[in-house]
Order: sequence, then structure tokens, then C-alpha cells
Amino acid sequence: MTMRHHHLSDDRLIEVCLDAASPASERQHLAGCPLCQERRAHLTRLVTDVSGVAAAQADAVFTTERLARQRAHILQRIEHEARHGRVIAFPAGHAHPPSLRGRPGMRWIAGAAAAGVIIGLVAGQFAHVLPGTSMRPLPASTTAAAVPDTLQRVAAPLSEEEFLGRLELAVEGTGGSALRPLDDLTPRVWEVAAQ
Amino acid sequence: MSRTTPHRTTSSAAAAPAQAPAVSRDSALAAEIKALVLAGQREAARERFAGLVELQQRRAARIAYQYLRDVHDADEAVQDAFVKVYAHIVSYREELPFEVWFTRILVNGCLDLRKSRSRRLRWVLPTSGDAPPEPVAPQPSPEQRLLSSERGRQIAAAVDQLPERQRMVFTLCQMAEQSTSEVSRALGLREATVRVHMFRAVRKLRTLLEREP
Repeated sequence: MTMRHHHLSDDRLIEVCLDAASPASERQHLAGCPLCQERRAHLTRLVTDVSGVAAAQADAVFTTERLARQRAHILQRIEHEARHGRVIAFPAGHAHPPSLRGRPGMRWIAGAAAAGVIIGLVAGQFAHVLPGTSMRPLPASTTAAAVPDTLQRVAAPLSEEEFLGRLELAVEGTGGSALRPLDDLTPRVWEVAAQ
Repeated sequence: MSRTTPHRTTSSAAAAPAQAPAVSRDSALAAEIKALVLAGQREAARERFAGLVELQQRRAARIAYQYLRDVHDADEAVQDAFVKVYAHIVSYREELPFEVWFTRILVNGCLDLRKSRSRRLRWVLPTSGDAPPEPVAPQPSPEQRLLSSERGRQIAAAVDQLPERQRMVFTLCQMAEQSTSEVSRALGLREATVRVHMFRAVRKLRTLLEREP
């Protein structure tokens, strides 16, 4: 009759079922107590049944045909992405940059272009010194302020995900607390759809 | 399923870190694919990858379905996970089991999909006829017969009542046959937390199912 006092509690039995590392006293009791053995077997059966049903739920919708289709899609996507990422080699003829040494005409053109750049730079410096032609650039802060914030936001294209994410943030943020009563009054999409 | 007994969820594997774990077939295949990609043999790598998909696909579909509860979303999550794995195969570390790495990618994908789905439900009107109807099998499969039995229905309802985290831990420990240490790495949780969730899941299932007539 002393055995009854040492029966494993339900919680301990679950622990034992899930974790083989149980105290020696519990293992000893379990080995010699048919009632606890039966309870343990029952619990093990329950866990196995649940796993079986959960697996069957998924297997009922993911049939062999569906899995085959899925596999084909995966391989197709991999193939597609690999094709996009392929690096095309340059033709062998263009492997070396063309040299100017053998072409005197090209040398003149390059020289003229360089001279044009230098003249342009010098003229630019003098343009600031001459009276009535001050072209001081506006400070960065002024130019940024000139474009309204909303316009800047609208100008940047947003993906649907990004847009919905920003909506979430706006609603959950501190600034949105004032709008919460209004939000509560507004019917939800699914409520409208249900009606 | 050879590893479905509850004893699989022990921490005994973690208790003996000195032992070199046997490399699973999936991990060996993943390492082989990585080597092929690094060697520039992409065609051969893709062929081997098809084999890896076949090995992991059903398990992945079960996990994703338990998490998302929608066949189209689960399908998308599984596809995305495999494509991501192939795209990042060179960053796979051979000393870790492939299953753990893959499960982490899959679970993260499922989380992203759920988040995006809940946003969509909140802000966007549902469009009718978006998804094609599922083909109806002429004969019910053994899985469908099991689910339509009284006991099957009770169990399915009980699993649905589990809190999300508990259902995930239970799914990974029991259906995906992972140890608590593997699940903790896959979900980014402490091993003790995984054990607590598992314990609570079993206790709740037991209460729910033994209350049934």
C-alpha cells in the first residue's frame, strides 16, 4: 500500500515521457509499478496519435501530385534565377583597352577634350569674381526645405509590403494614439465584407 | 516515422557534446551541393538539389502547414525556403545538421508570410476567386479517412486549440522529429523554454482529449 504514495503525478509522468533523464527513484518506481507503466503507455499513445493526426492533416492536402508540382516549381525557380545571374564574357577582341599610340588623330581629340575641361574650370572660377554674376549655391538645408516632405515621400515609390508596414507603424506609434478612437469607430474590412 | 517516440525529445544529445554526431544523408548532400557550387558545377549542383528537395519536402510541408494552416501559403513558404537554401548554400556550415539550418529558414519564412497575411487582412479587401480550387480526389486517402474518424476530429480540434508557440514546438519535436536542442536552435529559443512549451502542449492535449467522451 505504500506504493500508492509514490505514484508519479501526471506532470511528472509527462516529464518522464518527454525527458529520459529522470531521477533514479522515479525510474525504479516506474519499472515496478504496473499502474504507472500503464499510464505512461497511455500518454505515449496519445502523443503518437496526435502526431499522426497532425501529419495526416498536412498529408491530406499535400498529396503526392501536389508535392511533385511543388518540386517542379522549386527547380524551375532555381533554374530561372541561375539564368538571370549568368555573367556573359566580353568578346576576346575587346579584352585590351585600345591604345592611342598608333593613332595620332585620336591623340589630338583627347588633347582638345582635356584642354576644354581645363578652360571650363578656369572660366567657372572667374565667373564668381565678376560683378553681377554671383552664382553662390544655396545651402543644402534650404534646398531640402524647399521640397515639401510629403512630396519627397510620394516621389519615392513604395512596394505594397512597405506601404502596409508604414501604415501599421503609424497606427501603433505614439502619434497614432489620438487617432485610435477614430480607428475604433471605423468598420474593419472583414466587417464590411461580412455584411 | 522511425523517430516519433516521445523519448526523441530528450536533452541527452546535448548532454554528450564530445561525441561527434553522425552526419545525416541530408547534411552530406547539402555539403556536396555546396562543394559543387563552389567548384562552379552549377548543373550538377541543381541535379543534387532536386534530391535534397525530395528528401526534405514532405517534412517541410507538414511544418509549414501546421504553422500557417493554409495550403497555398504553406506551399509558398516551402518553395521560398528551398529557393533561399539554394541561393545561400555556400554559407551552409557543414558542422551543423542541415535540417536545423533549413528548419530555421522555413520557420522564418512562415513568420514573414503570417505577418504579411495579417497586414493584408487588416487593410486590403479580400478578393474572391484568388486561389484555384483544390482538386477533389475520387477516393478518400488514408489520411482523409483518419481525419474524418471521430477520434481524428477530436485530435485535430485539440491541436488547433494549442497556443501557437506550443503547436510549433510540438510539431517540430514530434512531426519533424527534432531533439529539443535542435528545436531550440531552429526557433532561436533556449532549450529549457522549448521543454516548457513541449510539456505544456502535452499537458493541454491530454486535458483536452481525456475530457472528450
